Amino acid sequence: MSAHSITEPSNGQKWLAGVLVAAYAIITILPLLWIIATGFKSSPDAIAYPPKVLFQPTLEGYVNLFTTQTRQSAEFLAENPPTTWYEEIVHDKGMVIAGPSRFGERFMNSVIIGFGATFLSVVLGTLAAYAFSRYRVPLKDDLLFFILSTRMMPPIAVAIPIFLMFRNIGLSDTHAGMILLYTAVNLSLAVWLLKGFIDEIPREYEEAALIDGYTRFQAFVKVVLPQATTGIAATAIFCLIFSWNEYAFAVLLTSGTAQTAPPFIPTIIGVGGQDWPAVAAGATIFLVPVMVFTILLRKHLLRGITFGAVRK
Amino acid sequence: MSQLSMDSVARATPPRLSRRIRGLSDRTIAWLFIAPTIFLLLAVNIFPLIWTIRLSFTNFAANRPNAEVQWVGLRNYQRILTDPDTWATMQATAHFLIWTILLQVLIGFTLAWLINRKFRGNDLWTTIIVLPMMLSPAVVGNFWTLLYQPQIGLFNSIVAFLTGADPTSFSMIGDVDLAPWAIIIVDTWMWTPFVMLICLAGLRSIPESIYEAAECDRASKWRQFWTITVPMVLPFLMLAVLFRGIENFKMFDLVVQLTGGGPGNTTTLTSIELKREAFEKWRTGYSSAYAVILFVTVFGLASIYVKALNRVKDR
Amino acid sequence: MKGFVHGLFRLRRGPWEMVASVLIAAGVVMLMQPFAMWAYTWSFLVTLTGTVMFIIVSHFPE
Repeated sequence: MSAHSITEPSNGQKWLAGVLVAAYAIITILPLLWIIATGFKSSPDAIAYPPKVLFQPTLEGYVNLFTTQTRQSAEFLAENPPTTWYEEIVHDKGMVIAGPSRFGERFMNSVIIGFGATFLSVVLGTLAAYAFSRYRVPLKDDLLFFILSTRMMPPIAVAIPIFLMFRNIGLSDTHAGMILLYTAVNLSLAVWLLKGFIDEIPREYEEAALIDGYTRFQAFVKVVLPQATTGIAATAIFCLIFSWNEYAFAVLLTSGTAQTAPPFIPTIIGVGGQDWPAVAAGATIFLVPVMVFTILLRKHLLRGITFGAVRK
Repeated sequence: MSQLSMDSVARATPPRLSRRIRGLSDRTIAWLFIAPTIFLLLAVNIFPLIWTIRLSFTNFAANRPNAEVQWVGLRNYQRILTDPDTWATMQATAHFLIWTILLQVLIGFTLAWLINRKFRGNDLWTTIIVLPMMLSPAVVGNFWTLLYQPQIGLFNSIVAFLTGADPTSFSMIGDVDLAPWAIIIVDTWMWTPFVMLICLAGLRSIPESIYEAAECDRASKWRQFWTITVPMVLPFLMLAVLFRGIENFKMFDLVVQLTGGGPGNTTTLTSIELKREAFEKWRTGYSSAYAVILFVTVFGLASIYVKALNRVKDR
Repeated sequence: MKGFVHGLFRLRRGPWEMVASVLIAAGVVMLMQPFAMWAYTWSFLVTLTGTVMFIIVSHFPE
């Protein structure tokens, strides 16, 4: 479109639109900046009145997040001077570090379950999407609808029978159980999204490969898969973000060994209520990877949220 | 791909294996590829669904697995559908649904319309606006309880600064009148970008030539907006509204962390009520019937949603 | 309108899907409206009818 187009907005309009959108963006990002800032506040600063915008940054919240502490007498503290910077922070409050907290474990659970479920759903999803894209499958539309409808189901409603089923076959509170469950939920998105991506790869490439003596399977592995890499990567990130953020199943079906970070972070408490700097520190560590992924994904975001139907 | 590399690939594959795979018909490959997905979904979704339907006709309680299970017919359904408290829960959900959709459509469409002016730096601002949508609702919802604190909360301070009210005079999640709005505000903050992105796609799908033709016919901007922009974006908007409707009908994580359903039952949405019945009161049979009602509702809405998806797909 | 009625009689997918969608929407509204208890009570049946109908009529020819 040329710059002289009659439908092109004027510079004044553009400027006004820019200012309004920027204003909304700044308001919308405020809570997120507040989370990050609170992670670096001391406990009194975090709950100060009025809320503090400028403060002395400290790593107290992060130390509290990763450790458990016990209060000690003044003599004990005097006899055992702190040796590291984090012991020093705790020492100043009259406490000593008793050991690591469970946050590390919960975070690792999130990583294991997230990556496990993502890997499985992308592998199964790619196969199914290829078949749906290239072959005449009987009842194709019904199967695709069935696959999508599984994602729409309310998690709490599904959780009742899954809770009973997992209890009967010994999968409750295990990594394997959660990976299977998240794979099933992610599969619908993976199949729909990847089908869209594979539909866009011209069939001619495969046909050329078939003429060159490839089998159907070889053509899939050597021709289609390399072409679909971007799509597969984008799908994988969407699946990862879903498993990462999932809360309802995690809170109902896990309690100890396989609990992920989302149900754990809100339960971080200090003396007299939630330890906000520690909660914010945990939230920061937990949310920042997703923010980075979102920025990487921004070109494919629209596809991801419409199951591949809207391609821009 | 060059002829040379194709040959080397063909040679690298052991002949017997390749013959065996070559022997597979297209149909077999198709089913081999689809079967694992279907099998997993049957095991994790359909089998439990059938189980739920069965349980919904009984008085089974999951915390008393050895108690005798009685067949109660339609009694569970009858009780849910005549219970004023459950009805009130549905109304709370309706309030949440209507206002979140209304606000998100208004703000989301306006933002999309502004971003479509293609000013400098709109990519950067769009990316920032989109961020809340991708974050964990539970973790963010939990943190919003700090922002909503009277006195120490950022939200109250900003509202106080703008309106001159006393920041300690109201508590968004403690006051019966304000709590329903507290969850609406956070949901709108999180999901407006969703509606915005879809509206933006709708706006961008309108060919420039239509506006040019309208301009030649001397149609006013206002008229162009109502006769071109709105009808062309409508299918996209329908898609966004249906999806947000389904998602918020089953809303759980955000609200459970924000208000936990309180104060009283003012923010007890259907999923929260269901969780209480199923996992706190352990009335498994009763809650299974409740789950079936939610299932059917969501399934019905999902069929309309897929119809809307297909309509937008060809654009 | 004439095409719609015609489509209903000839068992075409379009108009029947529309009828099913309207039933589902009506059921959802009945479920969540604050006005009449009887509407709430019967909402599930309406939604169920609409949903089952939708599944059946989506196999009608275009």
